[in-house]
Amino acid sequence: MAFARREHAPSRPAVLFLLSILPLLVLFTFSSAAAPPAALHNNNWAVLVCTSRFWFNYRHMANTLSLYRTVKRLGIPDERIILMLADDMACNPRNNYPAQVFNNENHQLNLYGDNVEVDYRGYEVTVENFLRVLTGRHESSVPRSKRLLSDEGSHILLYMTGHGGDEFLKFQDNEELQSHDLADAVKQMKEKHRFKELLIMVDTCQAATLFSQLQSPGVLAIGSSKKGENSYSHHLDSDIGVSVVDRFTFHTLAFFEKLNMYSNASLNSLFNSYDPSMLLSTAYYRMDLYERALNEVPVTNFFGSVMKTIHTDLAYTGFLAAREVETPLSMRNNILEGAMLQNEASARRSNIEKMKEAQLRSDGWTEVLLEGKNSDTVVMYGLGTMGVLLAISTWLSMKAL
Amino acid sequence: MAEIAGDETPPLPSSSGAGESSLYSSPPSPTAPAGDQPPPPPRTTKPGTKRLVLTASVFLSFLVGLPFLLKSTEIHRSPLPSDAIADLSRRLHSHPPSFPRGLHAVFLRSGPGSPASSLADQLERAISTQPHGLAAGNISVSVTVQSDGSCSSSSSAAAPPWRCGSVTAADSVRGDEVFDELLHSALGGGGGGDRMKVYTVVFVESDDEKGTAVVIGKHRQAWVVGKVDEAEAVSLVGKVFIKYFLNGGVEEGEAGIGKGEFMPVGSDGNVVLSFSLLNADPNDWVYDWDFENIGERMLNPVVEALRPIADINVESQVLYHTPKSSFSHSDDKLGGNVLSMGDIPFFVNSNEWHLDTSLSATGRSKVLQFVVYVPSARECPLYLQLPDGELSKTNAFISPMWGGVVIWNPPGCSLGSKKTSGTQTKMSSQELMETLEIFIGQLRQLFGLKANYHAQGMDVTTKFLVSEKGFAQWELDLLYRHHACSNLLSCLATLESLSSLVQSLPRMIVMDEIGRQVELSLEAASLAQRNASLGISDSSAVSATRARALAEDAFFHPSISSISYASVEHYFAIYMPFFAPVTLHVLLAAIKELKRYKVERGKYSAFLASQATTS
Repeated sequence: MAFARREHAPSRPAVLFLLSILPLLVLFTFSSAAAPPAALHNNNWAVLVCTSRFWFNYRHMANTLSLYRTVKRLGIPDERIILMLADDMACNPRNNYPAQVFNNENHQLNLYGDNVEVDYRGYEVTVENFLRVLTGRHESSVPRSKRLLSDEGSHILLYMTGHGGDEFLKFQDNEELQSHDLADAVKQMKEKHRFKELLIMVDTCQAATLFSQLQSPGVLAIGSSKKGENSYSHHLDSDIGVSVVDRFTFHTLAFFEKLNMYSNASLNSLFNSYDPSMLLSTAYYRMDLYERALNEVPVTNFFGSVMKTIHTDLAYTGFLAAREVETPLSMRNNILEGAMLQNEASARRSNIEKMKEAQLRSDGWTEVLLEGKNSDTVVMYGLGTMGVLLAISTWLSMKAL
Repeated sequence: MAEIAGDETPPLPSSSGAGESSLYSSPPSPTAPAGDQPPPPPRTTKPGTKRLVLTASVFLSFLVGLPFLLKSTEIHRSPLPSDAIADLSRRLHSHPPSFPRGLHAVFLRSGPGSPASSLADQLERAISTQPHGLAAGNISVSVTVQSDGSCSSSSSAAAPPWRCGSVTAADSVRGDEVFDELLHSALGGGGGGDRMKVYTVVFVESDDEKGTAVVIGKHRQAWVVGKVDEAEAVSLVGKVFIKYFLNGGVEEGEAGIGKGEFMPVGSDGNVVLSFSLLNADPNDWVYDWDFENIGERMLNPVVEALRPIADINVESQVLYHTPKSSFSHSDDKLGGNVLSMGDIPFFVNSNEWHLDTSLSATGRSKVLQFVVYVPSARECPLYLQLPDGELSKTNAFISPMWGGVVIWNPPGCSLGSKKTSGTQTKMSSQELMETLEIFIGQLRQLFGLKANYHAQGMDVTTKFLVSEKGFAQWELDLLYRHHACSNLLSCLATLESLSSLVQSLPRMIVMDEIGRQVELSLEAASLAQRNASLGISDSSAVSATRARALAEDAFFHPSISSISYASVEHYFAIYMPFFAPVTLHVLLAAIKELKRYKVERGKYSAFLASQATTS
């Protein structure tokens, strides 16, 4: 705050007034700066989704598997990758190279080689399962390996590839994921602090429309083409007979092949490596919801693995010796207290539940209609009543004759 | 049917025909003179009402049945108590959960000095001038002075019992653990779990020339031994109280308790501690351990101590062929292979270490991995080098919210002789217990406390007594408090977002179970808040954990799905194809019958009138 120099000293009350305002302003800035501290980044997750099936969509599965391989190579473990594939390429009867999936016509790299752990395969890749993975609302029987167990310190990479259009993405030729459904799921994830930052990469036609409805902060999204543009495949493998990789993913992989898990290339360099003349479409990215500058964010923040570590400087020595000194009396007291509290809590709980049960006590009709008790007798009675009514009306009309 | 019955006179069909023609008698042919047709024969009988009654009854039954249809096809939405949620939110924000605590200072003196009440005032002033750090809430101060066998205490309503004369200054030389137990029993043995927690700092005047020393006990007391003047004693007491009993030894701005990454409890209140012994190369040697007996026995008190904040399960396994994924370089000066701190983040080789094999971990529980890594012969002995060049004493590190790793070099390692491959040896119980001590330190670190305290606390030598529960009672109080506060706030946030989600989807089915879980969660949350205001940290932590678990269960209920609710258009599309044509026909029939009846009535009354005039 610069005060202009005056010829004469400012008047006393004005000075006092200004002096009294100053601490208030200082307080104000400090109180507004006391926002809850953000969690630190401590793990990375990847959700890789291939939304196509059938032989002619070979390249989509090759895209997803290539990215899976890259992400694993850079350090994200299988337990933090959710891979959703229709998985019908490798053992497809039309595959000349059984159990092998390639992303290049030189066939140098077998993507289906070793250690591929597919979490959702075949008909499990549905919009509902995808949204359940994102929001975390699974049935209780779903195993941990199929859940996205991220927390507020996680960075999540979400990669989707397949056939898409204006504001939608086609799932398994059967249903669609709309952009507002995706935005809704991301909003719910943000509310439950299921991620710290989210990077969405979409490789479909008109990809940028899929994330047009996003509103949650901390989300960075890049699509392989803008609205009205198509995304193209890279090259055709005449041996296999179909295109084996898409252009956007091909150039992404070319960027990552040069890196290893110790590199610190930035996201900016990744995004700038997409050349519209090579992609034949414009790779459009959306960073208005993302706070950090792209040239400060290393790609390993999303594509690699990070473990924040703290050295353990001392052991809790004497722990075992302390066992004998503890007097059993106080331990028994603690256990008793704990048991009493538990009893009280469980008694309260059962009281509450008894009250709730009383409210839901079923009366006759709900018993029949909802639980299907005595349904046979009700049907019998119904038929009998109908017959009686029929007889009455026939008699009436007979009388009229 | 009434026409065929023919009860009515033959003129009826024709009159009905005429009636119909009269219904449709819009005059397209005004040329049709009245004289073309003979006037319709008069009606001699009262028109019957059967047809009208029939059609009207069908129509009325449709009308009567409409509310039943609407009721039976409405979306079942269990009402969520949003006012109660708003009320809880208001209460928590206006009165954040603050646990009132008490500081009780005891001065064991041999000579005269200031009275207890003035000491109490001094102490209060000393505390209020210092920054409280993580502390919040009211602190009530009371002072007891014991000199020459008689005690006087500053008047305070909730003064904890101090059995006068049971402990004297001379007892302090008998050993720290013994003195700790004596103090504990003198203060009433720590009974009464439903009262505010009171922390005691005893100042023992002694003539030793060793200088002042502070010892922090296992329960809720600490003592200061030394010969200092009163003002300094008072300020020392205050500092000990604030630095340890209120803040847990964590400085301002340091990462520790209270930050989200140091609360490794799953959202359903479960934690699984998974202990793994990793043999990097079984060709060199294979190690096994006796964890089930020794380890689980040692860990039982820790599990019990942490019960209010988490339900802990302990599992163990032995894995083979688990190399690390970072590179170590050999250092002949130190006689082994060395890993620097920069290599540590890449140490855990998640591709080969299949650690997550827990059976008891449910979808929302947290798994903490504690790993003992046995290096292969090539890289053995493996040491961890700190940035200042020193070797680590523990060879261990943690990763917050993941777990901890200890690198254990097998005893035959430094001899350089390669044993016959595949020999299976058991880790000696001594080694296992030492490793367990490191694990307990790591568990403390994962929960935000320090693994163990250095001897230099403030400016005086400080010693900390080690508890067999892994945490001292005052540390447990801190943990309970922080977890209770944060669980309450997180439960409230979850309930609010659930409520706004349900309101934003007006046609989504809300099952009864969700409503019940929300109500139980609110109950538990208010109970937790009540206990917090009374200062009972452990039952408050229990209720807060339960409240959060229930709120998360309700929010993550699998039936809440934004894509499968029935919109109004679906509702119309299902029911309109049947009901629209049917009601149209029924309505038209009723109207037609009504009009016909009126016409017949008119004819009949005309006939009656003509009868009346002719007769």
